[in-house]
Parts: sequence; C-alpha cells; structure tokens
Amino acid sequence: MTTTMTRRFLQCDVFAEYAGAGNGLAVVLNGENLSTEQMQAFAKFTNMSETTFVLPTTKAEASYRVRIFTPVSEMPFAGHPSVGTAHAVLESGLVKAVDGKLVQECAAGLLPMTVQGDGKDRCISVRAPRGKIIPHDADVQTLLDAAIKNMTLGQLPPTLMNNGPQWWCVELADETVVRELKPMLPEIAALTQGSNSVGLSVFARSNSPDYQLVVRAFCPADSIPEDPVTGSANAAIAALMHESKAFGKTGNTYTASQGREVGRDGLVQVRGDDDGEVWIGGKTQTVIEGSLSWD
Amino acid sequence: MPPRRYLQVDVFSKRPGCGNPLAVVLDAEGLSSEQMQKIAAWTNLVETTFVLPPSEANADYRVRIFTPQREIPFAGHPSLGTAHALLALKLVRAQKGEIIQECGAGLIPIRIETSKKFRRRLFFRAPVVKNIEAFESGFEPAAAVFSKLALGELAPSLVEGGRKWWIAEMRDEKSLRSLQPDHAAITAMSKASDSMGLCVFSRCKDQDYQLAVRAFAPAFGIKEDPASGAANATIAAYLLDSGTLQSIGHNYRVSQGREMGHDATIDLRAEKQDDIWVGGECQTVINATMKWID
Repeated sequence: MTTTMTRRFLQCDVFAEYAGAGNGLAVVLNGENLSTEQMQAFAKFTNMSETTFVLPTTKAEASYRVRIFTPVSEMPFAGHPSVGTAHAVLESGLVKAVDGKLVQECAAGLLPMTVQGDGKDRCISVRAPRGKIIPHDADVQTLLDAAIKNMTLGQLPPTLMNNGPQWWCVELADETVVRELKPMLPEIAALTQGSNSVGLSVFARSNSPDYQLVVRAFCPADSIPEDPVTGSANAAIAALMHESKAFGKTGNTYTASQGREVGRDGLVQVRGDDDGEVWIGGKTQTVIEGSLSWD
Repeated sequence: MPPRRYLQVDVFSKRPGCGNPLAVVLDAEGLSSEQMQKIAAWTNLVETTFVLPPSEANADYRVRIFTPQREIPFAGHPSLGTAHALLALKLVRAQKGEIIQECGAGLIPIRIETSKKFRRRLFFRAPVVKNIEAFESGFEPAAAVFSKLALGELAPSLVEGGRKWWIAEMRDEKSLRSLQPDHAAITAMSKASDSMGLCVFSRCKDQDYQLAVRAFAPAFGIKEDPASGAANATIAAYLLDSGTLQSIGHNYRVSQGREMGHDATIDLRAEKQDDIWVGGECQTVINATMKWID
C-alpha cells in the first residue's frame, strides 16, 4: 500500500445499559478500499467477537452497507453487529433514521431496522431471519439427553431451531435453575457438533420487574464456553415460543437478561410481531472513539 | 470525568497486524482495580495496561497490567507497548536513551534505540536466567515430545528465567515452520516439569532474521504465542551459555508468529547473562478516547 488513510473507528457495547454490561463490537466507519484480507486481519487484531466495516450502499433503499467479520471468518448477518453498527452510523452522523426506520444492506440482503429514542438510551432493533423448528433423529436425541442430564427442564421440550445459525433452545424450570446451572461443556460440544448447530441456549421465565426472561448461551465447540449476550439465540427462543404458542403471560414483547454469569449484565429487547417475525434490539454504549491506521 | 485517552498498539511489529496487540488506557487515575479488570475483560486482548502518575521519584510513569482474568506484576510486551504509547503522545521524554517504568515488579528501565535504518525500537531487560538443565532421556514426558521432533545440533534444555521454558533447536527453518505440535504431549511435559511449555527455534540463513522461533504453552490455554518477549530471552540465555552466539551474533533478530497469521519481528541484545534485552518496533493502530461509566 502506498497511500495511508486514517479511518474513523468506534468500539461499542451492544445490549448494554452501561459500558461493560453487553457484548463488545468494533466498527470501522469508513471501510472503503480495504481488501477482504485486510478486513479479516483487522477483525483478528481487535479480537472482538465481531468487527464491522461500513461501506457505501449499492442499493437505493439501503441506509448503509456493512460487512461483518469474526476473528476467523466473514458472516452474512448477525444481530449484535447489526444493532451496534446502526448505533455507530447514527451516533457519528453518517446516516439519519427516517420515521424511526433504517435499512441495513449486508451479505444476507436488505434488513429493516427500527430506531427509538436517542443517545445512550436509543434502542435499535433488527428483524431476525425467520426461525423454524428442525426435527432431530434418535442419535441426536442421545447426544441431547447427555447434554441436558443435569438440567431441571421447564414446560417446552428441548428443541433445535434454525434462524440462519442453528440453536438448541432448552426451557428450564425457573430463573434460579438457569442462573445456577453448571453446564456440561464437553457433552454440549458433542451435541452441537453432532447436530450442525452453533450452541445450546437455556432460558426461563422470570418474575423480575426489569426483565421477563433469563437466558444463557453456550458454544463450547467454537471455544466460547459461554457467550455474554447473544442476539440470534434470543431470536431463536422467541421463534420457538411463537411456534409453540407459549408466549403466555410473558407476551410477545419482552426483555431478556443475559450475561450475569460471565460478569456482564446485558438486556435484549425482543418483539414478536403479528406475522410471526421476531425483532431483536437493545441499547448500545459508545466506549472507544477515534481513528485507525491500518493500511 | 472527561474521556480518557486510549491507544491500541501492535508490539514487535513492522506493520500493523504483524505483532502482538495491546490496549493502553492513559489518564487512568480514578479507575478502581475492579473497573480496570472489567475493562481488560471487555477489550478481550491478551493484556490491557493502565497508565498512572509515578509514585517513585526516578520513574517516568507507573503502569498496571491486566490480562482479561487478572492483574500481573510485569510482562515484556505490555511494557514496550505502554512505553511506545507514552512516547508517541509525547507524555514522557527519554533521558540518555532510557525511560523508567514503575510497575508491580519495581522500576524497569526501557531502552530506546534509534537508527537511520529502523524506526524507534524499545527494549526491556529480561529476568536473569537462573538455571539451564539439559534434557535427560529418562524423563519420559519430555522424551515423548523430543523423540518426535527433527532436532538440531544443541541438546534440548529446561531453562529457568522469570518462568521455565523447554527450549529445543530444530534442524532447519523448514522443519520448524511445518511442525505440527503435539499439544497433549507438550501439556503433559509442561505439567510434569512445572514449566510454561515448549519453545523451538532454528538458525536461519539468507534472511533478514537470524532465528525463527515458535512458542507453545497449551497447558496455559495458549496453543501458540504470536510473539514472546520473555521466552525469547530464555532462548538468548541458552544460546549464550552454549557459546552459539559467537556465530549468530550477540545482536540478532527473530521471526515469530507466521504459522498463526502474524509476522512478528523481535530484536535481541545478549552480551552477557545478566544483560539480555528484548525489543522491537511498535505501531499505533487505534488512537482514540475511552468513556467508561458504570
């Protein structure tokens, strides 16, 4: 590279009421003229669960375009990077919401987003890919039985959901059972590897005034024993409750608490709409803001 | 509280992305230990440092060093990256080519080298090696590892600097770079000998570096380290002890990390056992401010 460009950089905390409560995200606000290899190398350098690069749109309807990378690969879509990137482009003034709406262009297509409020209390939601129940066979059932042997189950049967990634969704008896669970990680890794899924999530209804559901998500096969706050797992759980007509007194619009067991305290706003679509959102805090020299 | 200055630096690096990353939080006064630990967990880098005013008259600055799990008294890569951040922001000035860092391990001199050919390079003095113990084939956990390696001329040894490392010379650069380490066997050896793990090296010809190095510490969750400060110092002590530096040179350059997508460059200054310095270039990648309100 003969030219050196200073890029605008932001690192934020997604699904967070305050810095450190949520899931970190690195955002490069002007990602033009970086090669895919340079993007991947920078995503490895930040070591955040995801790093995004904002680019000029290629579709007239889109508010902005984004490419999403983990430290090892590019992803077509994920919830937490979408919410955090939308926060970053709004916060930096690159984009303005129209009637509380934004359209994100990403490898998975054009995704509608909603924006409520402003600044650190701004809540951004993205429509998650539609979730469906995936049947499993007897061999997988054996792996499942081993992985959930130490869990006190709730009402819904443990179910494999697909909403892009595949998640096991396991309802447990109550909040205390979820919070005190010591997951059997080797058995969970065997289950997820044997069923082409990213992880196993557990949830229970809560009587807390601040949230209606408590969630934890384990991805030991990807070297993530427990993920702090997970958009797609929360969307999968909401889709399961919708399919099973199990929203009950929780209602189809609720708040989920996730991450306390790993030192975080994330809150995910979940909204099921009448069409059976699930929206995942939350607040984002800007933690680090400055410039990047990479090329 | 105004936002604090924040730099993310690449250490042992000729270009951004080659080396070992470090987060540096400046103006860290007012942060509690708990907040520092939370920030270090959130940045998710191997180490995050916090710069404070010195409490000793001789020191230029004070630093506290955190991994995502705990505070540590000293480490080479965070010391160099922190010194780089302070020099880059012109917050300290070198005297006689040196600045003094105050940290959990006391006062540590950081030496600055400038030359026409290289950008500014920073060096720390490594802990003095206390013991070099040659491998004996009767020690089975080590025999299980070394019997499978294409070993070079020097005998593998257990070298104790700040920590213990097994050091082994490989036959040539190609066998070093293509090595597929047996993590289970290295873990067993490391546990049986109370050591960090295994460092392998090869002498290199016709390159702009004289040694290629790889470091494995799977017992500590580090399958491979992209750029090792202290481990390279133990290799230097071992080479000095065996008289090998007469041919390699007492000032030599190491290539490390290519096998895991990095490309670190580490410079050694090893005149005598109690005077081994490890250093390299640092790159400022992110120059920003941090708001941490909890």
